[in-house]
Amino acid sequence: MTGWRSRLGQLTDLATVGALGTLGYLALVVAPPDAVQGDAQRLMYLHVPVAWLAYLSFGVTALASLLYLVPATRSLRWDLLAGASAEIGVVFTGLTILLGSIWARPVWGVWWTWDARLVTTAVLFFLFLGYLALRQVPAAPHVRARRAAVAGLVAVTDVPVVHLSVIWWRTLHQQPTVLNPELNPQIHGVMATTLLWGVVAFTLLYVTLLRHRYRLAGLEEQREELLLHQAVLERRGIAADPLVPVLSDAQSLPDTQTLSEAQR
Amino acid sequence: MHLRHGLARWWVLLGICAAAIAWLVVGGLASNIVYFRTASEAQADRVHDATHVFRLAGAVVPNSVQAVADGVDFQLTDGHVTIPVHHRGDPPELFRPGAPVVVEGHWDSPASSAFFASDRILIKHGSEYSPPPVPGQNAPANAGQANATQAARR
Repeated sequence: MTGWRSRLGQLTDLATVGALGTLGYLALVVAPPDAVQGDAQRLMYLHVPVAWLAYLSFGVTALASLLYLVPATRSLRWDLLAGASAEIGVVFTGLTILLGSIWARPVWGVWWTWDARLVTTAVLFFLFLGYLALRQVPAAPHVRARRAAVAGLVAVTDVPVVHLSVIWWRTLHQQPTVLNPELNPQIHGVMATTLLWGVVAFTLLYVTLLRHRYRLAGLEEQREELLLHQAVLERRGIAADPLVPVLSDAQSLPDTQTLSEAQR
Repeated sequence: MHLRHGLARWWVLLGICAAAIAWLVVGGLASNIVYFRTASEAQADRVHDATHVFRLAGAVVPNSVQAVADGVDFQLTDGHVTIPVHHRGDPPELFRPGAPVVVEGHWDSPASSAFFASDRILIKHGSEYSPPPVPGQNAPANAGQANATQAARR
């Protein structure tokens, strides 16, 4: 299919690399050090966008899960998308905790503390790691997809809890600088621009990662089908060349072009 | 394919995740949901607390910081109540007069004149960021704000 699609894809890849490079320059060179925290505060330009990316991933997982559960839009594609997005979310939740920890050490004085924001974020990590494990437990495709969709919608309820934890409870973690209840940003000028740029750059990164992961999930699915088909043929005692008999089915391999593109 | 061999592995991972969540919520969150107490609350609960460990939050009273042999002495205030604190060990880098801090420790004795014995100081920085103030005339708007925020903390 789709010369323009892969062209657009390549464009997103390039834009992502460019945006991240620019973020590095803004965060390390252009933005001034913070009045109180000094250079350590520059970690914010990674920590906040990385956390945003994790929220976004889980939001997309929830949306795709919902679309799967609604009969009118039910399709295993939504299930694949939900899984791909959750994988990215788990990685970036882990990164959020790691970067937060590195930032906390020079500023708070500790790597970790039992504060509601930190604990609810760690819970979020394990909720979606569990979600990914659940996805791997074998069952018929639609059983597995429904199970995952319900679990995804349950797990995502922790996202608002994480975000509001610093407002609901007393925490060592500071309250939101921009998305606070008063919607009154407490950051200005170059620092605010850099933070905003970071959020845009990491949103692009999300789109790029999701695009590639989703495509890969589709290929994995096809591979499973091929192997299954092969096993069935073997059972029947038909010589099993893994590819030839199934390729003639043609129904499940729309993406050979993508494959050959990938080889280039 | 992981159809047969891998089955147990995923259930195990699922179990580990469930256990981790339970541990975080029951062991961590439940007992720390009130992460710190203000000086006023600590003062009011003094008899009840005896020498149990808890976290106390407030601002470091300017001019109250004194280096002593095994650490640092200072006063901690929430604006209403001021509590003398003795901290054992070096205070963290961002510890300074006026800084909002959380100290972990306990009343040194049940006596009403007791000081708070701290063995950990955490800096509770705010959510506002700004460049350092420019020394001299006509500081830019942001720097002025930094001064104002810092003044407000004191």
